[in-house]
Amino acid sequence: MDLLAQLFVNGLVNGSHYALLALGFGLIFGTTRVTHFAFGPVYALSAYGCWFIASALAAPLWLAMLGGVLTGALAGVFAYLVVYRPFERKGSTSLVILIASLGFFIVLENLIGVVFGTDTKVVPAPPSGIFLWGPLVVTGVQLVQIAALILVGSALGLYLTRTRMGKAVLAMTDNPEMARVIGIDTLRVSLIAFALGSAIAAVPAGLILIKDGATPHMGFLAVFMAFVAVVVGGVGSLKGAVIGGLVLGLIESTGMIRIPTEWQSSVAFVVLFIVLLVRPRGLFGGR
Amino acid sequence: MIGNKRRFTLCVAAIAAASVFGSAFAQQAGDPKTYKIGAILAMSGGASFYGTVMSQGIKQAIDEINAKGGVNGIPLEAVIEDHKSGNAQEAVSAMNRLITINNVKIVMTSFTAPTQAIAPIADQHRILLMNGGGVSNSLVGVSKYIFHNRSLAADLGLSAASHLNASGVKKIAGLQWKNDAGDSIVNAVAPYWKDKGGTVVANEAVPQGATNMDTQIAKIRAANPDAIGLWMFTPETGLAIKRIREFGMKQPVIGVEFTPNDAKIAGTHAEGYMFINDYFAPSDDQPWSKAFAEGYEKRYGKKPDFYAANYYEGVYVIAELLKRGKQIGGDYMDAEVLKKALYSNPKFDSVYGGQMTYKPNGVAQKRVGLFKVVDGKNEFQKFVEVQ
Repeated sequence: MDLLAQLFVNGLVNGSHYALLALGFGLIFGTTRVTHFAFGPVYALSAYGCWFIASALAAPLWLAMLGGVLTGALAGVFAYLVVYRPFERKGSTSLVILIASLGFFIVLENLIGVVFGTDTKVVPAPPSGIFLWGPLVVTGVQLVQIAALILVGSALGLYLTRTRMGKAVLAMTDNPEMARVIGIDTLRVSLIAFALGSAIAAVPAGLILIKDGATPHMGFLAVFMAFVAVVVGGVGSLKGAVIGGLVLGLIESTGMIRIPTEWQSSVAFVVLFIVLLVRPRGLFGGR
Repeated sequence: MIGNKRRFTLCVAAIAAASVFGSAFAQQAGDPKTYKIGAILAMSGGASFYGTVMSQGIKQAIDEINAKGGVNGIPLEAVIEDHKSGNAQEAVSAMNRLITINNVKIVMTSFTAPTQAIAPIADQHRILLMNGGGVSNSLVGVSKYIFHNRSLAADLGLSAASHLNASGVKKIAGLQWKNDAGDSIVNAVAPYWKDKGGTVVANEAVPQGATNMDTQIAKIRAANPDAIGLWMFTPETGLAIKRIREFGMKQPVIGVEFTPNDAKIAGTHAEGYMFINDYFAPSDDQPWSKAFAEGYEKRYGKKPDFYAANYYEGVYVIAELLKRGKQIGGDYMDAEVLKKALYSNPKFDSVYGGQMTYKPNGVAQKRVGLFKVVDGKNEFQKFVEVQ
């Protein structure tokens, strides 16, 4: 029972991480319909931006985190304007854009390695402490990971439902063609989606930098889990993306109480397979 | 008549001279302009840290040797290819490029799966393979022409288990890479440990490149072992140490590697961590190791780890083989000739200090040490006999 409780806590932490990634990826994918696999290295670049500001410029960690968020947002906008927008203007199919995304993934990932080196980058962890509650252990950074989901998720929810531009993003998520017909500036909305989605991903990137360190290749698993969480939750549903991420984290962790851990990395595939088979539109996806 | 005799004598002299110089010329022509040493390393992908340090070791050795006039008066040249962090197909393509385009006869290899993939090609084309990084025991004898100047994983794991046994530990738990290297340690340690009357209370696995191992560590914590063995390599070793300590576990932790990268990740949590490894620790009484470490730091701004040392040392072994091969003569870059040259005297100077001896199975037996992290430094404790 103690082990199950610990695995549940671990799953909640990992799930919060996946949920934040899925929020960012889902916002971009749902709004623009671009399968932005380069989301992974953009996420990694945010962590490196945070590391650079904290290490090379010796800035406090909160400032470095902000710098990481800004790095992510700028990289997201760059990706859209330089990589995807030209193809959209030419009326390229989604497959062509997907291939461009994979190409940009490889280029950006290798660029990070060339510029920053391939060793793991770390920052001095703040004295956030280790909390022992009976048999349960949780670190301060893990608590911040859960809190970050609550804060960022709430802020995004407020932005999307209370502001004019947020409502435009939601309208485009719901039906891009109709949004264009009623006069919504879809280019502007796409830029906001890329900036916001990448900025959201920069938050878990910064926390992973503090917790485990950053490597040029940290983005692969991130974009993969974000993609699975979005599909499980339902494309176009941000609530679904969050729940998809949490479900994935919890199953991946608590499911290992009986299953040998060598199978853990297969869990996401199994969940994805079952959802696609039983409910192809995801838990909260529309028609 | 006299004229004819003189003409005949001149002809004979000319033929003799031509045959002498011709033979000498043929021998010169058999030499390449440069000795190309191929290397198939992890130059990109998740484990590119290895490729970076290995290639740096190779380049330093080659530059040093070339600065002294090369080998047999011929400079060495590195041709570095990328197996993209363990991709066997990439390794095969790289090997074919090295052979067909670069006409390479000697290849330095790394990682288990790529080495296994290129081994049959090496046998077919009689290419000498020098492994300084791959640790799986399945690499022993994978090719007729493979040599290892890296202690293999199972040997290191067994030595670690032997130390735990001598320390009175009864219940151990293992956290392993789920790949050939991790499996080869577990397959060696588990029967050894049972044979010694101990219990393996948990054995958890993570994939190579894992960034999250909380589930595995939670299960190990629940099993309450006396000590934990880390049957994995960088950077997961550093992360595992950090997370084990963050989970509040105070048991001794022992592993088979601890690179500067691991030290950076684990930070102060590494205090007390023990590891068995190839013993590369430059010191004043080992002039070559000291010179290598100083040169490396000057070139690359970082201290060398043992991977850099192994590949640096590997180039020197190859250079010695080329010298010996040249003395044997014929097609002396043929792997069979180089193999014969190696076993004509299997002792080679080691950058670790002293000499290493190649055993009949192709593995160089060299000093293996037990280290402990004390005040952030790797303190050598003692030599441990490879079981």
